[in-house]
Amino acid sequence: MREIITVQVGGFANFIGSHFWNFQDELLGLADDPYADEIFKHQQMDMDVLYRSGETPQGILTYSPRLVSIDFQGTLGAMNSRGSLYDSSPATKDVYTWEGNISTHTSEPQKKNLFLQSLDDEQISNKNKGGEIDHGREYQEKDIIECLESGVKFWTDYTKVLYHPKSLTELSGLWMDAADFSNYGIGKEALHCGHQGEEIIERLRFFVEECDHIQGFQFIVDDSGGFSAVAAEFLENIADDYTNTPVLLYTARDPRSYKKLGQRNEKIFQVLHDAVSFSRLSSLCQLIVPMGLPFLSTSKACTFLSIEDEKPYHSSAVYAAALHSTSIPFRMQYLRQPADPHDVSGAINMNDMVRMLSDNARKNTVAILDISMPAPSLRGKDVRQSLLSHFHPLTYEIEEDVEDLHSVEAVNIHGVIGPGGHCASVSEVKDSVDYAYDHAKSRPKFCHLSATRTPLPIPLPFPSIFSSLIGSQGELQGGSTTSSTSRGSLDVHSIPLATRLRMSNAILPYLESRLNNLMRFGIQRGAAGSDLIRGWGLSRDELEDMGESLTRMVMNLKPGDEISDDSD
Amino acid sequence: MSLRVLNPNAEVLNKSAALHMNINAAKGLQDVLKTNLGPKGTIKMLVGGAGDIKLTKDGNTLLKEMQIQNPTAIMIARTAVAQDDISGDGTTSTVLFTGELMKQSERYIDEGMHPHVLVDGFDIAKRATLQFLEKFKTPVVMGSEPDKEILKMVARTALRTKLYESLADQLTDIIVNAVLCIRKPEEAIDLFMVEIMHMRHKFDVDTRLVEGLVLDHGSRHPDMKRRAENCYILTCNVSLEYEKSEINAGFFYSSAEQREAMVAAERHSVDERVKKIIELKKKVCSGNDSNFVVINQKGIDPPSLDLLARAGIIALRRAKRRNMERLVLACGGEAVNSVDDLTHDCLGWAGLVYEHVLGEDKYTFVENVKNPHSCTILIKGPNDHTIAQIKDAVRDGLRAVKNTIEDESVILGAGAFEAAARQYLINEVKKTVHGRAQLGVEAFANALLVIPKTLAENSGLDTQDAIIALTGEHDRGNVVGLNLQTGEPIDPQMEGIFDNYSVKRQIINSGPVIASQLLLVDEVIRAGRNMRKPT
Repeated sequence: MREIITVQVGGFANFIGSHFWNFQDELLGLADDPYADEIFKHQQMDMDVLYRSGETPQGILTYSPRLVSIDFQGTLGAMNSRGSLYDSSPATKDVYTWEGNISTHTSEPQKKNLFLQSLDDEQISNKNKGGEIDHGREYQEKDIIECLESGVKFWTDYTKVLYHPKSLTELSGLWMDAADFSNYGIGKEALHCGHQGEEIIERLRFFVEECDHIQGFQFIVDDSGGFSAVAAEFLENIADDYTNTPVLLYTARDPRSYKKLGQRNEKIFQVLHDAVSFSRLSSLCQLIVPMGLPFLSTSKACTFLSIEDEKPYHSSAVYAAALHSTSIPFRMQYLRQPADPHDVSGAINMNDMVRMLSDNARKNTVAILDISMPAPSLRGKDVRQSLLSHFHPLTYEIEEDVEDLHSVEAVNIHGVIGPGGHCASVSEVKDSVDYAYDHAKSRPKFCHLSATRTPLPIPLPFPSIFSSLIGSQGELQGGSTTSSTSRGSLDVHSIPLATRLRMSNAILPYLESRLNNLMRFGIQRGAAGSDLIRGWGLSRDELEDMGESLTRMVMNLKPGDEISDDSD
Repeated sequence: MSLRVLNPNAEVLNKSAALHMNINAAKGLQDVLKTNLGPKGTIKMLVGGAGDIKLTKDGNTLLKEMQIQNPTAIMIARTAVAQDDISGDGTTSTVLFTGELMKQSERYIDEGMHPHVLVDGFDIAKRATLQFLEKFKTPVVMGSEPDKEILKMVARTALRTKLYESLADQLTDIIVNAVLCIRKPEEAIDLFMVEIMHMRHKFDVDTRLVEGLVLDHGSRHPDMKRRAENCYILTCNVSLEYEKSEINAGFFYSSAEQREAMVAAERHSVDERVKKIIELKKKVCSGNDSNFVVINQKGIDPPSLDLLARAGIIALRRAKRRNMERLVLACGGEAVNSVDDLTHDCLGWAGLVYEHVLGEDKYTFVENVKNPHSCTILIKGPNDHTIAQIKDAVRDGLRAVKNTIEDESVILGAGAFEAAARQYLINEVKKTVHGRAQLGVEAFANALLVIPKTLAENSGLDTQDAIIALTGEHDRGNVVGLNLQTGEPIDPQMEGIFDNYSVKRQIINSGPVIASQLLLVDEVIRAGRNMRKPT
């Protein structure tokens, strides 16, 4: 067993997580579904890596994500923070501890949307299986999708997964709007409020204690505001308690968080936050993957998708798909020889992955994430050649078309359609990738390929973001259907997907901008933001350390410079 | 004004409007928390939008649950919560006192008085009250054997404001015994050495003190004993799992054989560590009927668990970091970071170790220890919100006992101090003050009465009657408090109603500070997202 524990910190991270767990839930469902495609029945994937088995006090077996999620109080919408999985009876309102007066303050109940209602109904009808015909309200799936498209407010609005009662935590006592929780300084103290920090660490320990052989932590952090400081505090504790367990950290940003910054002050605020939060987070994990494009909808990565930047429900779906894909090699069943090597290859555990990517001479721990959604089919030579050109970055501020002889890549391809119009076998995928690299302008120093035949299943609550060119198996349909309506989970059942983690000096602009901003507004004598930084409770020494480590990162990557390996 | 030039949208409130905004916010917050105070207060049940329940009578908890947006209220709330962080209690009192100071000031300000004069008066009154507090306090001698009765009275006073009487009384003994258990002469009391564990089980009266430790996990091997007597306890922080060699080892296998070799070598070194523990076990347990328990902060993987189980050892992994310290204090021995030089002296001892399973939750009890300096308060409750509320109360009770031991003094409760301090301010301090600042002293003195007033009000008594009776007795020179059953004056000393000195001191300190700040606001500029909301 090589367990992974997922930690989601902050609003957008939980939006992504919600989609991510929906994919997993869909895969689990399809594996048991007699009518599902053959592909999904032999996934060769070990779901126990991400999920834990448990038991309620009533003795009912449960299977729930190994997850710790942190968010604001009040962001769980209609979901109870304890989840409904372990809740046997509706909470009694008897008070056992007080004989005096009782005053009850009930907030307006959060209305469940159509999707959540349909899940509830399904659960009830499952319970009284046999005999009872659910003559309740019949929902058209179309209505559900429509309702999600127009009305997702919380990430819980479209989640179909039942969480363990120890999974969801809400930060309370902050007394501010989510919008004001916008910088590193504000988040720093949040965990120290009462016993919340300790509580969260205890919850993580609960999940770790169960693991026989934990392979790593997978962090998703919304780093656009105070939550990056929350995550940093949390990571510090992890580094102390679980020293040798690798942390793979994705930072994610809602397109909405790149708001127009009018005043100079605001701008300084923002860039300093970016610099500080990146430098803190990158120092506390083994591999950091910054994700988040300011204009996702018009980016190349979304050529075949129609996304509305205004909806985190949309944008998070793309990142979740990428995350799902990069996590696949960690859970392929590789210890036992796979039954059919045509199905799956390239298993690797998180530790090896992190070492493979980061442990080159350049000590770069910042990876660029590229996605190809949907991945092209492997028909014809030209497609095979251009396989690589279908990758588009989800990381912002990077250089394009850069030649880097020292780059290291990990490519994940799954469910692509082969020359025959069927799912390509793993060897076909391998051949294509080899072919593509052979004909590419520049080749990375090293490339790890993971491939499976299982495509990304599209669950019902997935947003309708596919362009009309995409068919039900995610194939690109030729022709010029000009209808502009986007397609969703009813029309598209699965898509092939490819992602790539790339360690390359293309990340330099990203690093340099952070370094320069930190120097210019924070460290230099009389810098405009030095008061601000002090207000965040960061000392000058800390700041200079950050500057130094960023400088080192940049220097290590500068092409031309012989790697000045001053450390041992 | 420059700001108005910069941001034409900013709305500027003039002085009197600003003042009234602040006063109203303070009064508003006071109204919310008012009903909490005292043993006759109202418990609040908060039902969230998704049906989740929180139960609280604690001002601190309540403030945190409220989504306060008003900036003035936030200022007061922060002070009050800080109060709790420092002294463990008194959040509600701070909010009430601040609110009352603002209310009293309002009268004078409406009559045209300048806030500055009031604030000067507050300052004089505050200093005088603090001096009076020193005189008023009842010293308690805390030698090597603290007076258990007085500790119990303080704890009971605190707990009865949070829990119903018989539960409060039951917990009183538990809490006092817990603090006395961890107390070491000449050292500050570290309340973290009292573990608070909870079980969702049966009724709240099952809450008990475990002399020893309760861990929230169990062994992870089917063959390990679930119950053992006469146990040697090895507390360690040693990795007993196969770890892929260090992340930054900078090493890559060049062949499958090499990889295998590496794996084997690493496995071997883990096994060696396990063997050393087994050796020690054999040494100490041979020829007697004692058992051996390993409690490890790091992980233990299945092969290691197997080896340990075969040797008859019970092993727990991933113990809380803090439990390492607690275990050593409870059982003796020492926490070891390496298995290289294990000796008999490293081991602690417990008379009984057993596992208790509730669904997927496992608990391991380490009990019957000799001479413990750490213990566990095991809270049982039928549901989560009940447990949470008892837990909060226990924490407050622990703080109250700790404060008493450290303050070496207590204050008479039931409103006695407030009435006495008021009398002192009016009769003696006021005369020594020249000019209008007298009025500030008077306002301060009257504001102190908010505590007995609210206590009376919450008990359904006639406030005015009760206050007149109380102040009347004080005028006659008797230090009395308020009987909340009858409204008659009582002697708090006789009834055993005592408050913490440090809590009171903190309230008197922070209330006027925050009130003064709010009174001296000249103008409020509303700008930015947050403030544009209706307040």
